[in-house]
Amino acid sequence: MQYCALHNTKVSTPLGDKLERDLSVGTAWLVVLAAIARAEEPIHGYEIARQLAAEAPEGLSFKQGTLYPMLRTMESERLVRSTLVPSREGPARKCFTLTPEGRRVLGAWTETWRRTGRWVNRFLGGIDELR
Amino acid sequence: MNSAESTGSPDPVRVYLALLEAALEQQDAAVRHDALLDAEAHLRSAIATGLTAEQAIADFGTPAEIASAYSATPAGAFGRRAEGALGADQEQTTAADMWAPAAGGRLSRIPIVGIWFQPRAWTALLYFGLVGFPLATAYFVWAVTVGSLAIGTLPLILGLPLVVFLLGSARALSLFEGKVVETFLGVRMPRRTQPVEGGADSYFWRRIWCWLRDVRSWMSLGYLVGNFPVAVVNFVLIFTLTVLGVVLMLAPILDAVGVPIGVVHDADGPLQIWFMNRRVEPDADGHLWLPSGTAIPSLLIGFALMTAVLWISRGLGWIYGHVVQAIQVARPRPLPRGSGGAAQAAAA
Repeated sequence: MQYCALHNTKVSTPLGDKLERDLSVGTAWLVVLAAIARAEEPIHGYEIARQLAAEAPEGLSFKQGTLYPMLRTMESERLVRSTLVPSREGPARKCFTLTPEGRRVLGAWTETWRRTGRWVNRFLGGIDELR
Repeated sequence: MNSAESTGSPDPVRVYLALLEAALEQQDAAVRHDALLDAEAHLRSAIATGLTAEQAIADFGTPAEIASAYSATPAGAFGRRAEGALGADQEQTTAADMWAPAAGGRLSRIPIVGIWFQPRAWTALLYFGLVGFPLATAYFVWAVTVGSLAIGTLPLILGLPLVVFLLGSARALSLFEGKVVETFLGVRMPRRTQPVEGGADSYFWRRIWCWLRDVRSWMSLGYLVGNFPVAVVNFVLIFTLTVLGVVLMLAPILDAVGVPIGVVHDADGPLQIWFMNRRVEPDADGHLWLPSGTAIPSLLIGFALMTAVLWISRGLGWIYGHVVQAIQVARPRPLPRGSGGAAQAAAA
């Protein structure tokens, strides 16, 4: 599975790390697909990373370089397609757009995420009263 | 040239890329090539927005973190699309598994004859016996035609841009050939080519000069030309052996189902046909049948020959694929003199 790069810098216990990693695997895919989907034009890796870092919740760190293996996996699974755009600063940049398959997967995952979120929140609401 | 280099200090991005390349040593060369290009494009973009190189590198992640992310990525993510579930592992060839059974189920693990059940051997056979030769011919014709035109017009001003055009087309054709090789031979290829350093310079003649001194472009052109004789040899070898093997295997089967292996219309002449050291005599209708006692040896020899052809195709495919890969991937970037310092600190 794709290792994701979202790390909570405040909590670090072996079990906490495992939970965080398990959670982040699917979450990162979902967030990256969403970032590509909401971009009006093809979006390059740095811009995706910048947006993720800018909007990440407090305490979560994000190693931007780990985004690229994930994007490559997405491309090989035909969830996204890329085009090379010449860059003045260095090598040509790969810009990404969602494929119809990517949109379908994003829609399905978003629905799953929302349903799961409601389910988890119902239980978490219960423990809030206990704390 | 970037500002760091122009002031004499090592370019932190270059230093970081050298460290990243070392960290990715265990990765396939094509993956390493693409990862380095991605990293450079990312870091240069970050620096262009006003970040310091050290900050950009720190945000990007240490070479160990990036290498770990690539290691955790399914191998198939870098090859052709997985035919199944998301992230399903795929075949990939490495030096260690060159002769190991590839994907194809349990039957492919049978010693020697298991090769009949390995899809990679069949696709390699298809490549060398059918696809590779016409493609190599087309590349060769293109390179020689445009090359001749460019050399002929070199005394004129038009010659140099034509050479650059030829080099550019050679890079594009090499990249395309890489995709074909990846599809048929299963050796991973980079997704894009290393950019020509200075190739985007705003001065026309400086841009031409950058292209002319780009080793990778010349290597691509050399590949298009040099690949032709190699493709001819491969084609003749594989095609001839395959036809021979198939004929030897098919002849007894046709004979058994009552189909003659040949017909002689005018047998009055001094025509003598021999098959496996036995003379083939036409019947009253001029039909040729296998001499008795040759059916089983013919079948066995044909089967052995086809088995050998499949092994040869697979081995040739591995060698050929890695030669193409070596031409396409980036050469190791030399570590700038006196490197270390801030970039290494940020990378650590």
